[in-house]
Amino acid sequence: MWILRLNMTDRTYRLEEIPAGYRNLGGRGMTSTIVSDEVPPLCHPLGPNNKLIFAPGIVTGTPAPTSARISVGAKSPLTGGIKESNAGSAWPQHLALMRIKALVVEGQPKEKGKYWMAHLTWDGKAGKPKVEFFGADQYKGQDLYEVFPKIFKRFGAGIAISGCGAAGEYGYANSGIVFNDLMKRPSRYSGRGGLGAVMASKGLKFIVTDPKGAPAVNIMDKALFEQGTKKMADALRSHDITKPKGALNTYGTAVLVNIMNEAGGYPTRNFSSGRFEGAAQTAGESIFEGNKKRLGKELYNHPCSPGCIIQCSNTWHKPDGTEHASCVEYESDWALGADCGIDSLDHIAEMVRQCNAYGLDTIETGTTLAVAMEAGVLPFGDGKKAIKLIHEMGKGTPIGRILGGGTALAGKAFGLARVPTVKGQSMPAYEPRAVKGIGITYATTTMGADHTAGYTIAPEILSVGGKADPLSPEGKAALSRAFQATTAFIDSTGHCLFIAFAILDIATGFEGMMEECNGVLGTSWKSEDAAKIGAEILRKERTFNEAAGFTKEHDRVPEFMRYEPLPPHNQVYDVPDSALDSVYGEL
Amino acid sequence: MSKVKIDEVASMTVDVWLYGSLARYGGRAAKRSFANVKMHLPDGSKMGDLLSLLGIHTGERGITFINGQLSAMPGLQPDLNHILQSGDRVGLFDLKSMWPFQYRHGALVTDEMRRALEAEKNSGLRHTYRKG
Repeated sequence: MWILRLNMTDRTYRLEEIPAGYRNLGGRGMTSTIVSDEVPPLCHPLGPNNKLIFAPGIVTGTPAPTSARISVGAKSPLTGGIKESNAGSAWPQHLALMRIKALVVEGQPKEKGKYWMAHLTWDGKAGKPKVEFFGADQYKGQDLYEVFPKIFKRFGAGIAISGCGAAGEYGYANSGIVFNDLMKRPSRYSGRGGLGAVMASKGLKFIVTDPKGAPAVNIMDKALFEQGTKKMADALRSHDITKPKGALNTYGTAVLVNIMNEAGGYPTRNFSSGRFEGAAQTAGESIFEGNKKRLGKELYNHPCSPGCIIQCSNTWHKPDGTEHASCVEYESDWALGADCGIDSLDHIAEMVRQCNAYGLDTIETGTTLAVAMEAGVLPFGDGKKAIKLIHEMGKGTPIGRILGGGTALAGKAFGLARVPTVKGQSMPAYEPRAVKGIGITYATTTMGADHTAGYTIAPEILSVGGKADPLSPEGKAALSRAFQATTAFIDSTGHCLFIAFAILDIATGFEGMMEECNGVLGTSWKSEDAAKIGAEILRKERTFNEAAGFTKEHDRVPEFMRYEPLPPHNQVYDVPDSALDSVYGEL
Repeated sequence: MSKVKIDEVASMTVDVWLYGSLARYGGRAAKRSFANVKMHLPDGSKMGDLLSLLGIHTGERGITFINGQLSAMPGLQPDLNHILQSGDRVGLFDLKSMWPFQYRHGALVTDEMRRALEAEKNSGLRHTYRKG
């Protein structure tokens, strides 16, 4: 098993045997360890000393269900801290099949404005991966929906692609890393944190993988692994949220739109209200029914990557039944919808498509447009002008470049106080003033405001959280700490975080996950090790952030949430700073 | 005479939102994916009365809100005797809906729901409550 290093200063590569201390790492555990060990915390994120790390999870590439996840890590141009951004695609499976535990992109070309692509294949004779570099200037500035078919045509149908779009080339703090989905669309994103700009800063446009002839993932204890896989599959197939034709497969993640809206926690018009009058017509139920009307039949969702049981990815169709965009996720639907006061699914879908085409993060894009609306650059609710501004971002016009810098930058440029960010990253679609627990995670996670930083997988976490009342601020903080640790563990396994829905309620599913990992690695991790291993990852990330200049005073929700009551419940954020400080103070 | 009596009794209106497959109980107000209906009920009516009037069996609805406060989940329905007030907003979801724990931890819940969650094992730290 290897670490593959691509040196973009001279376009060479090196395969290193995985060091003993890295053997049991995967996904986020791997990316955060390498960033922590190798990236100077005070380096500029777009300079030669930052590194971009791709790592498949521990069980990625095996038959473990719903496990084709990639972690991408670096120092983030958006937050200035450590970043792990996660996506699902066949691409990480290819790395795993070629026994690459981490791919590290380092250095920087002297030639400015030039781009290359790397073609990663299996060298059967040598019995190891090999890399060829090609010029990629011809793809500069192009729509990724036009580029992806060209790359598939050039290298063959069995490949997978990762890359960056125009947003990365412009160095936007809002730029993601794209991966292809099963329909070869440029639709799966490690969206958050500006990692597309890190990739582009290294002169690297695409990494094309072709695992033909590659061995397979080495599994130390096959019987144990298969036992674990069966338990996991059974849990996913039987749980109401994750089963076929269940919540996620029917309504997609946008199943949460109406829920959060009824709860009064659906951030609307730049976080000025918790309820949006246009929620119902943009919700997951409406996507399902709208597709049914336009297609003349029910359409259930599809997998983002091979081997997924949950299959939560939707596709929105135009009135004539042709495809418009995939995928209209909850967060994208909200950021480009309610947060901008936009209630048209057709406008939202068009914006999702353009974000995918230019390599923008849909969340950061929506929250930035909402800040621009607040500032009067365009009116709330104006979908057509919002689409035009996304094109300006993609084309690099002066206003487009300001917006491409992300929500915090736009808020400064436009002189606003209501800017919903933590550590420079904009908040996703759960209002902290209405859902106090998620606010603790937003404030304290190493990632900047992040809705995927605090999932939970086992009820035993309550005892990990201590004896405090789970509803007291201290109790919520203790739970957030435990949630963040277990999330760091899942993000290391290679499983999609959504397995957490099933395995929290079905204990055998949780056992299955641990058995899968032990089967692959030959370890003997017990249930309680999940939180311990996760906590160790968090400590590394936290230490990196401290060395990069972050203090506990950065673990705060934006001040306006402390003094602006949020309708309809008219609550402010009232979790005391001492509770926020206890999350990492007691890690 | 009887008309006067009805007016005296049917003195409150509740703003009801029916989501997903429950939209079909919204009568003429039903859109494809939701329905918003104003229900007229006698004073003192409870959630159970509202469901009866709508024709919805309580097992058919899942996540439920009263004025933005969570009042029921699939398998956990302590709100049937909750007395409704005029002007209340009630949101009813079908069984395909979901609200994972970490996205509702610290959100407002009704008093009955708070007690029901406290009575659950592990203080209700679960994503769903449906038995079996």
